[in-house]
Amino acid sequence: MIDFEEELKKFHPSPEVEDAENAIRALDVTDMVDLIVHLEERNNLQ
Amino acid sequence: MRCFNCGSQLTNTPYCTNCGVDIREYRRIMWTSNQYYNDGLTKAKVRDLSGAVLSLRACLKLNRTNIEARNLLGLVYFEMGEAVAAFSEWVVSKSMKPDKNLADDFMETVQANPGRLATINQSIKKYNQALQYAKQGSLDLSVIQLKKVLQVNPNLVVAYELLGLLYLQAEEYGRAKRILAQALKIDRNNTRVLYYLKEADEGLNARYEGGNSRKRGRGAGRESTDAITYTSGNETIIQPVNSGERRGSSAILNILIGVLIGCALIFFLVLPGRIRRASGEMDEQLKEVSDELTLKNADIEEQEKKIKSLENENSELKGTLGDLSGSTGMTERYDHLAEAALNYMKNPDDVTGTEAILKQIPTESASMNSLAIDAISMPELDPAIYSQAFRDLYNYVDSGVASKAARTYIDRGREEFERKEYQAAIADLSRATEIAPLNDEAWYYLAESYKESGDSIHATQAYSRIVNEMADSDYADRARKNLSNGAAAETQDTAETVQEENNQDALAEALALQALQQAVAGAGNTDTGAE
Repeated sequence: MIDFEEELKKFHPSPEVEDAENAIRALDVTDMVDLIVHLEERNNLQ
Repeated sequence: MRCFNCGSQLTNTPYCTNCGVDIREYRRIMWTSNQYYNDGLTKAKVRDLSGAVLSLRACLKLNRTNIEARNLLGLVYFEMGEAVAAFSEWVVSKSMKPDKNLADDFMETVQANPGRLATINQSIKKYNQALQYAKQGSLDLSVIQLKKVLQVNPNLVVAYELLGLLYLQAEEYGRAKRILAQALKIDRNNTRVLYYLKEADEGLNARYEGGNSRKRGRGAGRESTDAITYTSGNETIIQPVNSGERRGSSAILNILIGVLIGCALIFFLVLPGRIRRASGEMDEQLKEVSDELTLKNADIEEQEKKIKSLENENSELKGTLGDLSGSTGMTERYDHLAEAALNYMKNPDDVTGTEAILKQIPTESASMNSLAIDAISMPELDPAIYSQAFRDLYNYVDSGVASKAARTYIDRGREEFERKEYQAAIADLSRATEIAPLNDEAWYYLAESYKESGDSIHATQAYSRIVNEMADSDYADRARKNLSNGAAAETQDTAETVQEENNQDALAEALALQALQQAVAGAGNTDTGAE
């Protein structure tokens, strides 16, 4: 038996066109390559 | 593949030949990212959109510069109805690779139809509103709003998911199943949709099993009238188990039967009442008309009586008017009196003319005896007919001319008698006796004139009047003498007449006796012959 309240919490408002700019800015585009670069830079510093 | 540190082209060596950085982990990450992209692409091709989203997100988490993966992710978002998310990915893709980017084509295609984009944006706003309703507990409003959303944006998978969840909450498993099935046509392997669908199936199964258990509890002998009863919100729904909707000819037959029953009810229940009511109204109207007719007839009879009485009154008035205005009317009498008075004043010597005019006015004595021989008194005017003034004037004129006129008629009558003009004498003397009924001279010469003219009857009457009424007159003896002579002559004439009548009677008797004797003799001869 599903828990309606819990299931409802899984739904989030869908971004509207007026909020597209904010949505793009809030988009997290960091990836594993960024992490490797960061680690490499820290190793070089050490 | 290029080095993440210096950007130079990498070779098969485990390090960068340009900067010497270790690229083994980097190669592994790129490989894994590509695997996720391939997986996402594969899933997108089989419309496992949610799975494709997960793979492509994982791909981009490993390598954000995978433009194909980002573009594909945007396309999957768009297919799922989330246009803003799709645009976001395409914009980012465009920012990372401004030239020769497939994201340009996608955005241009979408922007080429601004109406469609506005509709999608409106549907997203309504979806957010519906989600807010649902979180506030207004599930019915949320359902209504989601239905509107799906009418304009039928690819918005999250709307199907939320609507399915709401139906499940309302225990409307059938509807939830239908909605979720539509969602699966867009996103075939949506985990949430499949989960909700499983819940719907379980709910339906539980209900079916519950219905069967109740059916078994009531007994297996019951037929298709059994039904499944369940609660939906505040409503109790009773669903027949074995009875389907009657369709086709049976439905038409039921409609016809209903129409016939309705017609029969109208004919047997409504129509008689209306007929009775109409008949009652007609009777009342007829009664009212009859009463009015009776009243009218009574009025007509009364009016006829009035007309008849008025006609009688009119005829009486006409008679009275005729009496007043005719030749014998009062007006005429006034005219005669005025004419007589005028003639008396202008020609006092024309007493006969004045008297002749006065004679035209009827008096009581004149009306009683036109011959005037029997009149023994002066003519008088009826007070009931003539006014006092009329009678005074009449008496004044009459007294002034009567004696003179009588004298004139007597003198003229005697002259005419002397000339043996007896008829003229009778006329004048009669007129004199009318004017002066007690004038013995006029009566005597009138009697003489009658006698000489051979009218013994009137002569005797005139002599008798002198003898009876004017016994002291000088003419009384002569009248008595003539009367005696005239009576003997009359007696002799009477005896002669009686003798003649007796002779005639005797002759008649003789003839009758002779006829009798002849009859008797005839009868004797007949008897002898018979013997």
